Amino acid sequence: MRSQAMFFKARAGDKLADRQLQANLGKAKSRFVEGRAQAVVDYDAAPGADFEALRDAASAIRDRVLANLDVWLETFEDKARARGAEVLYARDGAEICRLVVDIARRHGVTKAAKSKSMLSEEAGLNEALAAAGIEPVETDLGEYILQINDNEPPSHIIAPVFHKSKEEVAELFARTHHTPKKDDIAGMAREAREVLREHFMSAEMGISGANFLIAETGSAALVTNEGNGRMVTTLPKVHVVVTGIEKLVPTLEDFSTLMRLLPRSATGQRISNYVSVLTGVKGEGDLDGPEHLYVILVDNGRASLVGTEFEPMLRCIRCGACMNHCPVYQSVGGHAYGWVYPGPMGSVLTPLYTGIENALDLPHASTLCNQCGVVCPVKIPLPELLRKLREKQVDLKLRPWRERLALRLWGWVAARPALYGFAARTAVRYLNRRAGGTDRIRALRAVPDWTAGRDLAAPEGRTFRELYAERVGHEGRTKR
Amino acid sequence: MTKEKMRVGLFVTCLVDLMRPRIGFAALRLLEAAGCEVVVPSTQTCCGQPAFNSGDTRVARALALKLIAEFEGLEYVVVPSGSCGGMIRVHYPQLFADEPAVAARAGALAARTFELTDFLVSVLGVAKVPGDFEGTVTYHDSCSGLRELGVKAQPRALLAHMPGVELKEMAASEECCGFGGMFSVKFGDISTRIVDRKCDNILATGADAVVLGDLGCMLNIEGRLRRRGDERTRVLHVAEVLAGED
Repeated sequence: MRSQAMFFKARAGDKLADRQLQANLGKAKSRFVEGRAQAVVDYDAAPGADFEALRDAASAIRDRVLANLDVWLETFEDKARARGAEVLYARDGAEICRLVVDIARRHGVTKAAKSKSMLSEEAGLNEALAAAGIEPVETDLGEYILQINDNEPPSHIIAPVFHKSKEEVAELFARTHHTPKKDDIAGMAREAREVLREHFMSAEMGISGANFLIAETGSAALVTNEGNGRMVTTLPKVHVVVTGIEKLVPTLEDFSTLMRLLPRSATGQRISNYVSVLTGVKGEGDLDGPEHLYVILVDNGRASLVGTEFEPMLRCIRCGACMNHCPVYQSVGGHAYGWVYPGPMGSVLTPLYTGIENALDLPHASTLCNQCGVVCPVKIPLPELLRKLREKQVDLKLRPWRERLALRLWGWVAARPALYGFAARTAVRYLNRRAGGTDRIRALRAVPDWTAGRDLAAPEGRTFRELYAERVGHEGRTKR
Repeated sequence: MTKEKMRVGLFVTCLVDLMRPRIGFAALRLLEAAGCEVVVPSTQTCCGQPAFNSGDTRVARALALKLIAEFEGLEYVVVPSGSCGGMIRVHYPQLFADEPAVAARAGALAARTFELTDFLVSVLGVAKVPGDFEGTVTYHDSCSGLRELGVKAQPRALLAHMPGVELKEMAASEECCGFGGMFSVKFGDISTRIVDRKCDNILATGADAVVLGDLGCMLNIEGRLRRRGDERTRVLHVAEVLAGED
């Protein structure tokens, strides 16, 4: 997917003006935020259970993997091969596309049924398949909705149509399926199911992501709510898993620890409707399962983060809690961020995976309120990583010269108390003049964005240091 | 108390110095009323947070070093701001991670640095405050104070000592007001949307005043309330409420 992240500010402005989107965002937000909060309360209510301890355990598991990623990859590879899977590596999106198209051609595939995979978004896999004459069909309900809406990109990593209302989907279905417009979600889901069933039966290949890869068994784990994942991974004779190299966990036990966190953090569910642990090809005597299984392990920028200050980002288990709780995401939605991953995790990943210079706004599009950090199931210090990306921008001289100059000048003055005192007194008097005898300033050229939406209360009139010096003088006291 | 007076350094913060000196004096009064000897280093300017959050660690370090030198001779540093307090307590030691000698000084100062209400409650055990505010208030939990320093119960405990104050909690009091320092300057429109949700929650309580512990949030919330036409809800720093009029 080509990144539009450099247009964040303009896109965010459009999203703020979209009243339908604003209404949709408000509804979806409260559902996820309240859901998680209740799930944590319920979890902690059980004797001896401690959600915070669980977060610590999960982040330790992820760190353990990252510390020896090569070893765990080899372990996974050996175990998966022993069960008949072919394990392939892809350096980037182009290589994912090439590998998947090759596999499809080898097996004479004309149609591929897809379960949700964010890596296929990173790679732009659907376009590549279509270009090779292979029809990709998204079967996750949300992804399906987006595909029939002229291949609209997802706006959330677990709820791709987070930005859409029921009514908008009803109209889209009526238009695409040539059916009477429905007004109930169950009816719409039934309609989609009927359309998708045909595809499940006729697709020769299934493509899925993986929420986790389990090293000790060579399995790919899928966490879903709709059941389409099972169809995609068991009905077609060929199954291709496309996932990131960082998705490994050492053992099934570790997987179960992370599963206590993932659904609760994502949707507030204790467990998702479906949890599939897929190991190897269809065995002798098995009733279903793929005859051919390929696991494509993707780097696409991940390996270069190992051992750097950004390594904690690789702990991410893609739950979406950070965006659900982010005041900026809640205000502009996912599309404003311009690439595959939105919200705080996206503001860290997009510059790291697509180039710092190609996403200059994203690390700054955060109030650093740390609501994301406190809900992250694997304790990724997201505000700290955003701040480090800001540092990188300064180090690489990627900030506008005016901003750099202003900061340096301000810093130089602030290091000189007498000069700073004079500057502060001057600023206060200037602001008061701008307030023109009232208690507020309605427009200030230095901060036009600020005063476009709010007043600036006028300063009291004199600085604290002025007044304090005067008071100390009067009292004849000496302080220090 | 018979023991010698505690020597407490007051870091008023650059925004209070510039915009609302009365908050600095309120903090001074609260500390003196609690029996402290308050020292206000006259050379203090800014903690360096704007530079730190903008990614300019060179400027941030220079200002951090200056503040450390100004305050390290004192028993405690008290700050009427969660975000400046968090800067000193949490981020100063990180800033000097590759300079062990300075990191040690930063760490020592960090351990003795407190947000004002946290200091009054957790260190001094204050149970009486001079203020005489009467009315209903709602409390906005500023992000850094809450999530970096654990300031949540302390201001509420102090307000509970004031018989005239009735606290009416707003919905989502822990959600950000959208200020975020330079964020509100760079992305004013997004910030406005966020602060609108905060204003809605404040107004829904019908409180006479929204009380908070950070000047950044204060300027942002007050500015938006007034722009929306609300002239009734007062926006007060918790120090002003607790200390009362001079």
